[in-house]
Amino acid sequence: MIEALRLYVKLVGISMQARLQYRADFIIGAFSIVALNAINLGLIGIIVYRFVNLNGWNIWQLFFLYCLWLLGHCLYSLFFWHFGDLEEYLIQGTFDQFLLRPARPFIQFMGREVQYIGFADMFVAIVGLGLAYIRLDLHWGLTTWLFAFLVVISGTLIETTLILMVACISFWTGRSGFAMDAIMEFNVIVQHYPIDIFGYWFRVIVTGLIPVAFMNYYPSLILLNKVDRTNVSWLGYLSPIVALVLVGITSIVWNRALRRYSSSGG
Amino acid sequence: MKLFWSFTRQAFQLMSIYRFNFFAEILLTFLRMYAIYWVWRILYTQKPGAFGIDLKQMVTYGVLGMAMEVFIWSRPQWYMANQVRSGAIDTDLMKPLDFHFHMLARSTGETIIGFALGTPALIFSYLVLGINLPSDIGTGLAFLISLALGYLVLFHLNFLLGTLAVLTLNIRHISWAYYSIVRFFGGQMVPLWLFPPFVAVIANVLPFRSTYYIPMSIYIGKLVGADVLKAVEFQLIWVVALVLLSRVMWGLAHRRLVVQGG
Repeated sequence: MIEALRLYVKLVGISMQARLQYRADFIIGAFSIVALNAINLGLIGIIVYRFVNLNGWNIWQLFFLYCLWLLGHCLYSLFFWHFGDLEEYLIQGTFDQFLLRPARPFIQFMGREVQYIGFADMFVAIVGLGLAYIRLDLHWGLTTWLFAFLVVISGTLIETTLILMVACISFWTGRSGFAMDAIMEFNVIVQHYPIDIFGYWFRVIVTGLIPVAFMNYYPSLILLNKVDRTNVSWLGYLSPIVALVLVGITSIVWNRALRRYSSSGG
Repeated sequence: MKLFWSFTRQAFQLMSIYRFNFFAEILLTFLRMYAIYWVWRILYTQKPGAFGIDLKQMVTYGVLGMAMEVFIWSRPQWYMANQVRSGAIDTDLMKPLDFHFHMLARSTGETIIGFALGTPALIFSYLVLGINLPSDIGTGLAFLISLALGYLVLFHLNFLLGTLAVLTLNIRHISWAYYSIVRFFGGQMVPLWLFPPFVAVIANVLPFRSTYYIPMSIYIGKLVGADVLKAVEFQLIWVVALVLLSRVMWGLAHRRLVVQGG
């Protein structure tokens, strides 16, 4: 385990060095990400500016919701973004490399890429959450801070495992495009809006089937002391458990998928 | 003109073979429509009849915005960036068709696919979510004309971004900011009349509102009578300006073009 971790850190270092070759690319990318998020927040801001709140969520609560999702997401986008490209690895046969070297394929796959533009996500998320914390006049105790920390890590794990699980579909079918797009779509909607504005079935899907609501909505109810209209505020405490369950399922899927693997080319 | 359509058809056929999954795309578009529908519905329960627009008009605007995005989805800039990076651009320049015209033909082919994908989602929304049809045939026609002009404006903005690719080779990262700016100032999700005054002033001068805001406002009946003419005139002026700008910029880029590989 220690050995695997050391190897992973080393691989990430190498990937980082490879990426740092393109400095101008980083600056433009970081600027773009900040602009994109600023515009998204601006749209939410305009809506609330004209309508005062969205189903009882005021502007800073909505920013908190958005940025809490983003903080979990940024660790995913930094370290695990390439999980979504697994399909390409399989089609092009790059995946064979991982099986030939004397180290765990998963560790090699995980350390293969670093998307350092994720730092821009992190910047936006931390600034946004900081401002929201001040404006909402929150005073968290030590346990709440610990819980918030757990929520962020759970968010990363939830997104990463969902993406990886779906990417594994391509071991069987060769393609995973639609399922991936569907997850992204639900993800974006849940990031932007509190799910209590949607219908029953939508909430069931993002809670039970594609549990992305555990990345921000349910924990936010607790962290912001909000009362959910459907009386499920306690669900937020389950975020870390949801994440652990997903990790378990994903590792089973991954191992099955590896056994199933047959290379694409000669 | 025949040459134009042959390139359009080619793009259409290429796209329809492997670029998308028909039903999946329709489903995901509908999902976006569903989300925006609830956003406006909740907001209008809080403040009925806000800004002289009723709930159904607002919902129509929101849903149509998602359909429009699929309708006028065409990405000449991806094609251009890819061709420049791989060096295959020289085969495009050898074709017996002006490059700018060739890109327009390709994009039109992609737009036809866009309509094939967006229309079923829109019809589904009409049945399930209950959106308005244009109030009369005149409005419907004005919408279609405005939509065509909006497509031309967006195509040229994209083309200009693609021209940039000749110099920078990579436009992937810039596109993230670019798409957001187009959607924001285009009023794709939030209409311009809700913007705070100082932002609205900027949005009104920029070309982006030609893409989504003007056609959609005509559709829902926010713009009527003389205002429609004024808005379409605004679109026309931008189309002409952007065509000229595109020709000039491509001319400049063409001279600086470095073809890689042999």
